[in-house]
Amino acid sequence: MRIFRSRAIGAVMLAVALIATACSSGGDSRDGTTIVIGSASFGESELIAEMYAQILESDGYTVDRKFNLGSREIYAAALDAGEIHLVPEYTGSALTYLGGTASADVEATASDLRSTWAASGVTVLQAALAQDKNGFVVTRETADANGFTKVSDLAALNGAMSLGGPPECPDRPFCLIGLQDTYGLVFAEFRPLDVGGPLTVTALQEGVIDVGLLFTTDGVIAAEDFVLLEDDKGLQPAENIVPALATSIADEYGSDLTALLDALSAELTTEALTEMNRLVGYVGEDPVSVATEWLTSVGLL
Amino acid sequence: MIDGFLGEVIDWFTDPANWTGIDGIPNRLWEHIQMSALAMMIAAAIAVPVAVYLAHRRIGGSFVVAVVNIGRAIPSFAVVAVALPITIRMGLGLGFWPTLLALLFLAVPPLFSHAHAGVVGIDAALVDAAVGMGMTDSQVIRRVEVPLALPVLMDGGRIAAVQVVATATLGALVAWGGLGRYIIDGFATQNLPEVFAGGLLVALLAIATEGVFSLADWVIRTRQHRIVTHSHKVDV
Amino acid sequence: MISVAQGSDQPIIVWDWIGRNLGNILDRTIEHLVLTAIAIVVGTLLSVILTLLALRWRRSYGPITWVTGLLYTIPSLALFTFLVPITGLSVLTAEIGLVSYTLLILVRNMVTGIDEVPQEVVDAAKGMGYTRRGRFWKIEVPLALPVIINGIRLATVTVIGLVTVTSLIGLGGLGFFILRGLQTFSSPIGTTQIFVGTALSIALAVTADLSLVALEKVATPWRPRGTP
Repeated sequence: MRIFRSRAIGAVMLAVALIATACSSGGDSRDGTTIVIGSASFGESELIAEMYAQILESDGYTVDRKFNLGSREIYAAALDAGEIHLVPEYTGSALTYLGGTASADVEATASDLRSTWAASGVTVLQAALAQDKNGFVVTRETADANGFTKVSDLAALNGAMSLGGPPECPDRPFCLIGLQDTYGLVFAEFRPLDVGGPLTVTALQEGVIDVGLLFTTDGVIAAEDFVLLEDDKGLQPAENIVPALATSIADEYGSDLTALLDALSAELTTEALTEMNRLVGYVGEDPVSVATEWLTSVGLL
Repeated sequence: MIDGFLGEVIDWFTDPANWTGIDGIPNRLWEHIQMSALAMMIAAAIAVPVAVYLAHRRIGGSFVVAVVNIGRAIPSFAVVAVALPITIRMGLGLGFWPTLLALLFLAVPPLFSHAHAGVVGIDAALVDAAVGMGMTDSQVIRRVEVPLALPVLMDGGRIAAVQVVATATLGALVAWGGLGRYIIDGFATQNLPEVFAGGLLVALLAIATEGVFSLADWVIRTRQHRIVTHSHKVDV
Repeated sequence: MISVAQGSDQPIIVWDWIGRNLGNILDRTIEHLVLTAIAIVVGTLLSVILTLLALRWRRSYGPITWVTGLLYTIPSLALFTFLVPITGLSVLTAEIGLVSYTLLILVRNMVTGIDEVPQEVVDAAKGMGYTRRGRFWKIEVPLALPVIINGIRLATVTVIGLVTVTSLIGLGGLGFFILRGLQTFSSPIGTTQIFVGTALSIALAVTADLSLVALEKVATPWRPRGTP
């Protein structure tokens, strides 16, 4: 927390902290509000937020990282309250959360989100090419034993299987609610675990759950030889990654700032994101360096 | 506003859906009690015999202090987090085992230190008298030291039990159940009445636990003719 | 570098990561210390007020203990998460929770400390002509100091542990690493973070504990060595 540096005892601690922290080597520091960047509590969100932070810092903006805030209810509230100014979002889920109707149409969903959120003082910038949707996953053994390839196949074992996912899944139209309404699925049990993280993966591996919620860009799926069930009834909407920026900050810094984020969105593809997730989540590399490497490779840093 | 919120909490408690199934109050409460009781019993089985023996031989005083201090210095959140990769690598998986392991860690120091202090605090004259009467070592322990140390031990048990009940809420972070689920899941969905209800249930359980131990303590004291006064206040 | 191969051949601690993140680790340590310091200072001030109240009006001690004890039984997780919609993901939320947990320990120790001053000493002071106030601040408080500092010591170690839980509301100090590690425990960086967060939290607590023990000795030079 950078704010504590200014209260730290003595300029010495301040100097040490500043030197010790990886500083950007960009141009002069800009005057103005420090941009607080938040993220949800899963690796990909933090990775993207870290990328936002790095490109802004490289252009001289002062950035404060407030990552790992939790579920959408928590970080969206923080954004509305001005506690954070920028957070990576997913068009379909965000739009649905705000009460809108999302569809598989990339452009329509993004612009609907833009107009809906503008009313609350949040500017939704250009959408990235990359999409990350909810993916329902079973182990290779389960898939082979039951011939599962698509989500609707699960209906064959209605009432017998357990679903694992983030605690908010039962409240989500693209999670349990959608599975029940669109696919008519009935689960024996729902186990709250984490947001497509190692708890869910371990639970799948150990047979604690039969079906788990992971994400389509999650490298673990291929690495663990899980089977990503096809969304044959099109439950999942477009989920392009967008920066959700507080309008006050967008106004303060103008197109200098937004152009940076738009440039990043233009380069971010699903393949690139999936590979980065694999490096961080499965190979175990540091998200900060993975972000830096990719940004450098596409010429943004 | 408070009015409305309390109303929502009452709604949560009166919603029949919250009383049925795996996520219902009876099941979560029962899980929580079972886990806490199990942790206490295993911790006592580990800590008490060793402590009583050491105290009987009048050794290990500084070891006890060290155990207590180190135990206190380890954040329970850290223990839960550390326990998870350990139990997974041991093949014990998530949920139950890391939570139990963490709670054991928490309960052993106070039980250990109180058992030790309880025995050490017994008037030496009584022990001498017992030895003089021809009692063997183990008889002295069983018939004199343990019964007389019981009040202090129960004090330690009370402290440990309340901590265990409160900390078992963290088990929800490692995919366990218990009352902590209401807090964690409620927080994730910003369902505040649920968070409040969860906290309230744990607090009530902790108070009830304290009550049970106080009752047990009272029973022990009234049945025991207290020849010796223990003025030990053990800080844990 | 140091690796303990665990089937998947991945190390448990990635020392490289630690080296690269010393800045973050330092930041989080400072955050941890500041959160703790604020809680102890505010907690002590409030406890002094409550103690003076309890000593002046004995009847109030019961209710004071009851309320502070109640706050103590609320699991920290519940208290922090519950305050978030009211006071935000802020230091204030964390501090309200942290201070609440110190009150029971501090008040109880302060009152007990004063109570345990031997009556003969108080009488002697009376006889020597001390005013009530003078007696309190010049005789009773200094004699109660060991127990009071012991209380502060207990409260400090408790708070250092509880600060880690505030990671769930966006803060956490060193608990930030523990939480991140918990959420990525299958990767080596995850286990490294759990290790760093845990080891440093313990180090912080032990250091605080020992420092306050030393402080206790310094503040009460009249106590003979070897007194517990």
